[in-house]
Formats: sequence, C-alpha cells, structure tokens
Amino acid sequence: MASLLTFQDVSKVYRNGVHGLNHVTFSVWPGEFVAVIGPSGAGKSTLLRSINRLHNVTGGHILIVGEDISRARGRHLRMLRRQIGMIFQNYNLVYRLSVLQNVLHGRLGYMSSVQGMLGRYCEEDKRKAIGILREIDMGDFLNTRAADLSGGQKQRVGIARAFMQEPQILLCDEPIASLDPSSAKIIMDMIFAMASRRRIACVVNLHQIDVAAAYASRIIGLRKGKIVFDGTPGELTDGVIEQIYGTAISQLNVKERAI
Amino acid sequence: MNIDENEQIVKMPVRPFYRHGGKIDVSVKGESPFIRRFLLGTAVAAIGSLYMLHIDWMQLGARAGSIVTIFGKMVHFNMTDIDFTLISFADTFSIMVLATVYSILSGLLFGLLASENIVRNRAVSMSVKAFFTFLRAVPTPVWVLLMLVCFGFGPIAGIMGLSIHTTAFFTRAFSQAFEDVPQDTIDSLEALGATRLQVIWCGIIPSSVTQLIAWIALRFEINFSECAILGMLGAGGIGFAISTSIQNYQYGQAGIAIFLVFLFAFYLERGFLFVKQSIR
Repeated sequence: MASLLTFQDVSKVYRNGVHGLNHVTFSVWPGEFVAVIGPSGAGKSTLLRSINRLHNVTGGHILIVGEDISRARGRHLRMLRRQIGMIFQNYNLVYRLSVLQNVLHGRLGYMSSVQGMLGRYCEEDKRKAIGILREIDMGDFLNTRAADLSGGQKQRVGIARAFMQEPQILLCDEPIASLDPSSAKIIMDMIFAMASRRRIACVVNLHQIDVAAAYASRIIGLRKGKIVFDGTPGELTDGVIEQIYGTAISQLNVKERAI
Repeated sequence: MNIDENEQIVKMPVRPFYRHGGKIDVSVKGESPFIRRFLLGTAVAAIGSLYMLHIDWMQLGARAGSIVTIFGKMVHFNMTDIDFTLISFADTFSIMVLATVYSILSGLLFGLLASENIVRNRAVSMSVKAFFTFLRAVPTPVWVLLMLVCFGFGPIAGIMGLSIHTTAFFTRAFSQAFEDVPQDTIDSLEALGATRLQVIWCGIIPSSVTQLIAWIALRFEINFSECAILGMLGAGGIGFAISTSIQNYQYGQAGIAIFLVFLFAFYLERGFLFVKQSIR
C-alpha cells in the first residue's frame, strides 16, 4: 500500500532565520487519523499549511500520493490541492454566500475558471452537496447566508465543503479551538465519522491532548519544528507529554486546578 | 530634599507642575505642539490671503444687497425655453450615468490589479496605485478641458474627463475593499484548488460587494454635482444651461435649472442613504 502523504526531510526557515520546521520526516497511510500536538509556535500550523502549499518550505520534499507538491506549479498544483481538503479554526467561509454555495466551492478545483465564475454547478453536484449537508444535520440551512450561522454550524459548512472535494487527505487546523465544549465534541465526532466512513486520512492540529488521545490512531508531537514523538495514543505517557511541552504535567492540567 | 538627586531616581516626578503664577498645569506633559502650530499657521495664511486679494470690505458691504435682488429674480421661475433646460438636464443625467458605469467596469479591473492580496507582485500593485493617484490628483475640470481639446465640445468630452477621474477614484476605493477581504478567505479557496479567477469571483467579490456598492452610490452623488459644473466648461448639460441663462440675464430660467439640480441632488442623497441602510 502506498502512502498518501510523505514528508522527506522537510525544513522551513523563515526570513528572520527562525526554523518553522526542522528536518521533518514522516508518512501518512490511508485510513489513519493523525493528531499533531505541541506547544504554541512549535510549527503545527506551518506543518499543516505546507502540505497544501499555503506555505512554501525551504528544503526537502512533500509527496502527495507520490507527487511532489512542494515543486508543483499552476495546473499541476491545483490538481494536487483538490485532493487535499482543509478545515480551518475560523471556518474561512465566504460569509455573504449561502450555505449551499459555500459547500459547492468544494467542486471549484474540478471546474474550469469560467464555469466556476458563473456558478455553473451541475445538478449532480448540487444533490451531492445537499446529501452531505443532511449527513451533518444542516439540511434545514441550505439557502441560509453563512454569516447568519452559529460557530458550530459554520464549522459544519466548512466540513461539508472539504468533503465535497472528495479528498484523499483531510487537514484540520485547530478545528475546535473557536468552539464551546459541546459543539467541539459534535464537530470532532463528525470529522471522525465522515472521514472513517470514506477512509480519508486525517491530519489534525490540536491543542487539547485529551481530544487527540480520544480520536487519533496516531499522535505526532512537535517541539521547536522537530518531531519529538510519533506513536499511538497508548504510548503517549506523561513523561512524553512533558517532553513535548517542555513543562511539568501538573502545569498543563488547568482543569484539575480549577476544580 | 535635593531635587536633582530625586530626578535621577524617578523620571517623572510625582508632583504637580506649576505654571508661572503658581497655578497647576493640567495638560499632557511633552505633548507635541503640532495642533497649536497648525491652527496658528491657518490663521497666518488667512490674514495673508486677505491682504493679497485686496478685499474691499466697503464695496462688499455696499453690494451685499444685490444677493437678495438676484435670488429674488431667480425664484420668479421663467418657463420660456423650459424644453432646453429639461434636455440639458437629461444630458447631465446621461453623462453622469455613463461615466459612472464605464468607471465601475474599468475601476474593477484596475482595482484588482492594484490589490496586493490579488496581484502577489508588490511592484505591479504599487505602480498601478501610483499611476491612479496621479490621475486622481488632477481635478476633474482639468481632465474635461483636456478632453474638450481632444474630442471637441459636447458630452463625449464630459464623459471621458469624468471617467478618468472616477476610474482613478474607484481603483483606489475598490482595491481598498479587496484588500480588506481576509487572507483566510483567499487561503481556503486556494487550498481547494480554485484558480485565481475563481478566487476573485467566488471569494473576493462576494466578500467585498457591500463596500463596492457603498462606494458606487457615493460616487453617483459626487459625479452628479461634478456634471453640473462640467457643463459650464462646455461639456454640455445643465451647467451649460445655467451659465448661458445667467450670461443673458435670464435669472428666471437659471432659477428653474438650479432648482432642478437641487431637487435631484437631494433625492440622490436620500437614495444613497437608502442604499446604505439596505445593504449588509
């Protein structure tokens, strides 16, 4: 079985000399649910955003189903990007447009410029979009303006848009960081269920270690742009967590102290 | 206590400042005297201008009465040549509409080229901006005069001259609206494989459309008053009707034309307010 995503010795050095990623190497296989954890500034976002070239890397290769996206340009880049879905912390919808229009944006990568501009989505795509929206309980909001939705609903539209792409890989950049705890659980459950039903590999950046351990089949710990842990949730001991975050475990548990 | 020693330790003394005469100074310490200098400069310029123009206050006072006389003549509307006035007014309206619509189209194009988040090349967007800043710096009447030389008297020169200035205005305003679209929105569309044109049409334009409409409505208003002036330069329209009737001492006819301009401008502004309240 071929890997969906491979990082080969990837480095990212910002112009001010800061290392965003430092010789990162790993692979993601079909069906995996990978959680990336680490302190702020460890390079989680940089890692995720370099997968679909929202950031450029300065060294190494990133292979998407065997093709190097870090060197791809123009049409080739778009062809690779449409296989990678992405869900953002701040949803990043076009808020003036309807829920359905936002979800149909997931098809833009499969359409010509002019078709996409004129909004000429085929009826089959529209039905598919409605199907996905029903699957995530958004069937009642098809023609609602995205701006009028709550945070959790906006994120569901974000999820629907990503799955509309029929991606091979799904990237989630802090998908629940802007949500209340109950919405957060619903959203994580949805991402997990929909991805595993379609056997789409997920790479999810998370702040919450407990959430990562609950959903992920594999956890990658980043610290200062380097992978310091790569294993199953079972292997993520307190000692490992302390190593990733560089602080004592008692300092990390805000919850226990508050109670 | 020795005050010098004290100041070495504490930079801002925790005691009130006293002005001359023992009163406490309540103003911000170390505030730049810019505002005071600006006002002073304005006052000096005003006095200097009065001196330069040799304003004769006595004569001004003596002739002030004629304001009343002339306005009195104007409100006695004279309906002769009303058809000419109405046609001129229709000309003005058409010049305004065409100039604004043409400028919207070209302003959209150049506005996109001037936006740093759309044209990733800073040199390109900066030079487009600089070029249109130059066009904007030259007032509309000057452009119309230049176009009058090129195209001869008539509405074409008016449309062209007004379009140049309006395009420059829209380029600036639209590019600002486009640049206000969050990078996140652009990122999310690029991440799913959208082309540059799709990002513009499906993401940037819908996200900024309320701002675009507000600018367009505002410019309709400005362009109407510009049009009224342009006629006096010979570009046709209501301005021409006003200036010719005043030159022929037909104050009643001028009064009607001015009243029409006022009426239309008033309702244009009301319409603009309505547009602003209706878009969201």
